[in-house]
Amino acid sequence: MPPSIHPVDLIEALRQKHLTPAIVFLTSRRACDEAMESFDHTRSFLPPVRQEAIGTVLRQVIDQYPSIAEHPLIPTVQRIGVAAHHAGHLPSWKIAVEELMRHGCLDAVFATTTLAAGVDFPARTVVITQSSIRKARDFTDLTIGEVQQVAGRAGRRGKDLVGFAIVTPSPYIDLGVITKGLTGQPEAINSQFVISYPMVLNLLKAHPLDQMQAILAKSFAQFQLNQRAEVLERKLDEIHRQLEPYGPRVCTDWISQWQLFDHVRRQRTHRTPMRRHEPPEVAARFHFLTTGRVAGLSKSRGVVLRQYRSKGQKSPMVTLLRPGGAITECPAAIVTEVFDHVLDCVEAPVYPWCTPDSIEQLLRELEELPPRLPVLPILVPKEELIPDAIVQTLGDFSCPTCPSRSACQKDHAHASKLRQEQQRHTKAIQALRTSLWHRFQEKIDALQRFGYLSPTVQLTETGEWARLIRIDHSLLITELVRAEAFSGASPALLAAVMSSIAHDDDRPGAFPRISPGLGSLLAQVRKLAESLSPFEDPPLLRADIAAITEQWIGDPTLTWIGLCKKTTMAEGDIYRLLARTLEFLSQLHGLRHTHPSLAESASQAIATLRRGVLEELP
Amino acid sequence: MTTEELERLLVEQPVELLHRLARGRVHRHFRAGKRRLIELLLRHSAENRQGFESDLLALIADRQSHPVGPAARPAVERPRAAAHGRPHPAHHEPEHHESPVALGAWLEGIGVPPPQPFVPDPWQEEALAKLQQGDVIVSVPTGSGKTYVAVEAARRAMEENRTVIYTSPLKALSNTKYTEFCRIFGAERVGILTGDRRDNAQAPLLIMTTEILRNLLYDAAGGEIDLRLDTLGLVILDESQYLADPERGVVWEETIIFCPSQARLLLLSASIGNPHDIADWLTSIRITPCYLIKHSKRTVPLRAGYLHPDGKLTPLFRTVGIPHGHPNYLHPEARRLFARYEDETMPSGRRR
Ligand SMILES: Nc1ncnc2c1ncn2[C@@H]1O[C@H](COP(=O)(O)OP(=O)(O)OP(=O)(O)O)[C@@H](O)[C@H]1O
Ligand SMILES: [Mg+2]
Repeated sequence: MPPSIHPVDLIEALRQKHLTPAIVFLTSRRACDEAMESFDHTRSFLPPVRQEAIGTVLRQVIDQYPSIAEHPLIPTVQRIGVAAHHAGHLPSWKIAVEELMRHGCLDAVFATTTLAAGVDFPARTVVITQSSIRKARDFTDLTIGEVQQVAGRAGRRGKDLVGFAIVTPSPYIDLGVITKGLTGQPEAINSQFVISYPMVLNLLKAHPLDQMQAILAKSFAQFQLNQRAEVLERKLDEIHRQLEPYGPRVCTDWISQWQLFDHVRRQRTHRTPMRRHEPPEVAARFHFLTTGRVAGLSKSRGVVLRQYRSKGQKSPMVTLLRPGGAITECPAAIVTEVFDHVLDCVEAPVYPWCTPDSIEQLLRELEELPPRLPVLPILVPKEELIPDAIVQTLGDFSCPTCPSRSACQKDHAHASKLRQEQQRHTKAIQALRTSLWHRFQEKIDALQRFGYLSPTVQLTETGEWARLIRIDHSLLITELVRAEAFSGASPALLAAVMSSIAHDDDRPGAFPRISPGLGSLLAQVRKLAESLSPFEDPPLLRADIAAITEQWIGDPTLTWIGLCKKTTMAEGDIYRLLARTLEFLSQLHGLRHTHPSLAESASQAIATLRRGVLEELP
Repeated sequence: MTTEELERLLVEQPVELLHRLARGRVHRHFRAGKRRLIELLLRHSAENRQGFESDLLALIADRQSHPVGPAARPAVERPRAAAHGRPHPAHHEPEHHESPVALGAWLEGIGVPPPQPFVPDPWQEEALAKLQQGDVIVSVPTGSGKTYVAVEAARRAMEENRTVIYTSPLKALSNTKYTEFCRIFGAERVGILTGDRRDNAQAPLLIMTTEILRNLLYDAAGGEIDLRLDTLGLVILDESQYLADPERGVVWEETIIFCPSQARLLLLSASIGNPHDIADWLTSIRITPCYLIKHSKRTVPLRAGYLHPDGKLTPLFRTVGIPHGHPNYLHPEARRLFARYEDETMPSGRRR
């Protein structure tokens, strides 16, 4: 058995069952063209009335778009009432096929799935032969939404009572994908927000930096990130609730305290005797942690009331007065910074180690300190660091004799697991809330580095014009302009380089040769693109592609057919290439206030490029 | 794993996974269909069988632990995927009470409806009414009549001397709409903007691609007003499911974020899974609320069929229409023919 039904038989089967007009979705343009060719040897002819109807519609379209007057497919279409429609065709030819279909002149159209999106092109029947499509150079299964878009072309409102989606197997089919697609709910759509250089420049042109976070927060991306954060926040609330019975005990942070104690206890069973050792920076700081010294802690500040060494192991300890009035005994290691600031204080020989008046005074002063304090530079002798846990010894812990000991021992495993989860979620939420902003900042950094933004995040003179380039590979293009890579280049060369930047398809083919001038200019562009690759993915920069554009603009007498003959590239692809080049050139033309000669060159290239077929459509 | 077992495992995998497996192994693998791909993969596996098998198992495990999109699909309607390698008849489904639809009944009703005067659908009316109060997102199946909403909304806005911008993702679609709108409103009231050309840019109804509108909004925000955005009353974003396009989706987001607050937004979209999210998002960032108009019922009912390569046609499902939510509700004849197809077209050396 053949792997799939012969196109001629397929159309015949559809005709017999009155299932025409139909759109037959095939996997590739080649498959569509081959399907058309397979009619060459049939003797099926449309009745003369229908042939005439096709002729009439085609004449109307040709009036508007003369480029298709000689289209090689016209006789076949007229003879068999079947056409192909895919990206390899000229837009004007596609319009002709759409128009024929709209007038009910055709029985079937062979098309690729690009047709499924948007083009108003309904039929009674849709034939599906594949379950995957080529996306970004790889085949992926059709999504439910895509299957429904494809199948949804069947059944014209006002022209059909029912529509049909018919699956016919080919080696490209996984029936499960299609049945699921037909019967399922379309997928949720997800934001694809990416931050580009032009976006950053244009936003900063219009709004001050401090509004950026608020603007990013308006994106659908942030909306969806927030949804995820909210799920985590609900989990966090639940963990918080579960943690309630594990609040402060004899020590406020008994979970950490027990963990450390437990750790040290285990360590000791393994290695005795334990070496007493304190990290060099703790030892160095300890000298400065004298009464009245303001010390930085991980989240707050405190005033040192006294320093001492612990009874058993003589590790460095401090008594700290914290904002709010708490007085705590802590290992000196919890001090993260020693500030160059000492407050006056009247010492006392017993707890709380200074007079009550003095404490009130200290608290007031502590609260009034400015947010930024100079840090005392402390020279730390170089020495290998030893983890905190080893520094601690059992003698520093009151756990063994603590009344809460058994409760702590029992609850610790569960409580600490919850707390770890809590910390993980908190971090994840933080990341979800700030990730867009971080990505934005990365772009700012790069733009500052290249001089498009000043150190104060204002657009520089360069940034002012660079923001007008809003296409893919904008950084490469603006850098080329800055390097004056195009000064003295002819409009044809300029356009050729633009098209090699614009073209992102790597399908091989045979193409015209390039001029030496273009060759050396492209080499220069390639080098720059390479050096920018940490900041922007380099384009393909195909010389053969550039050559097509160079020929079209370099020789204004070249006809469209003449150009097509020089390459194996499909007409539709050449058209798209030139149309995209036009877009890139018009962005360069937008730089006329700052780069008049470049803009002039671009404008000449545009004028020459827009001729023949390229003039027919807006 | 014997070669036969390996092959069976490959056959059970979705084509997407096979392509992932083929990356770096099979040159231009994306050109191959499932059958050919399996052949090529088997041939390649001889080079480093162990590495190949472990990659395959890792991909399968990965897929099972993160079912995304089509991956969540249960292994279905492959009677022969069962362990013993002998084709099973269609006994995977629970017993069905109604008997499967006959071909004749399935084909019944083909034809052209009698001409009827145009009466807007209730959802079309509702979309237009809601547009008086705020932004609107319409998410309905393909071919339902979203264009009518766009045209009427544009007409009403223009009657109030406001300008209207209509955007589509594709130049081709813009051109079609340009012709259509010129016919409806008269060529002098419609303009079209592309990257390098402006035809009748002062017209009250402007057509452009979404990228062009985004650029206009950039310019307006940067202080270089270039079109009359102050009189802008309505922005229509057709095919707005493009919001999910990996390369261009961001442009839709930007356009919506920067759309002037006095202009109403009308988003037209094919059926999507989470239109509520889009509506909630718009409500959260715009000054007026966004209303969602949504339905999933097709105006012209759809039926699905299976055409065997020998020309035999049968319904695809047991029911006349599409059995929503029941992908395995296959017509026994379609199931039988497809199993036969797979048997006969699989790489040689399969059991007979
Ligand atoms: N209320 C109605 N009554 C009858 N026919 C209608 C009605 N509304 C629209 N139509 C017709 O339905 C057909 C499809 O409409 P339209 O192209 O607007 O669909 P759509 O929703 O935009 O589909 P797509 O997803 O393909 O863009 C058109 O021929 C249109 O004239
Ligand atoms: Mg539409």
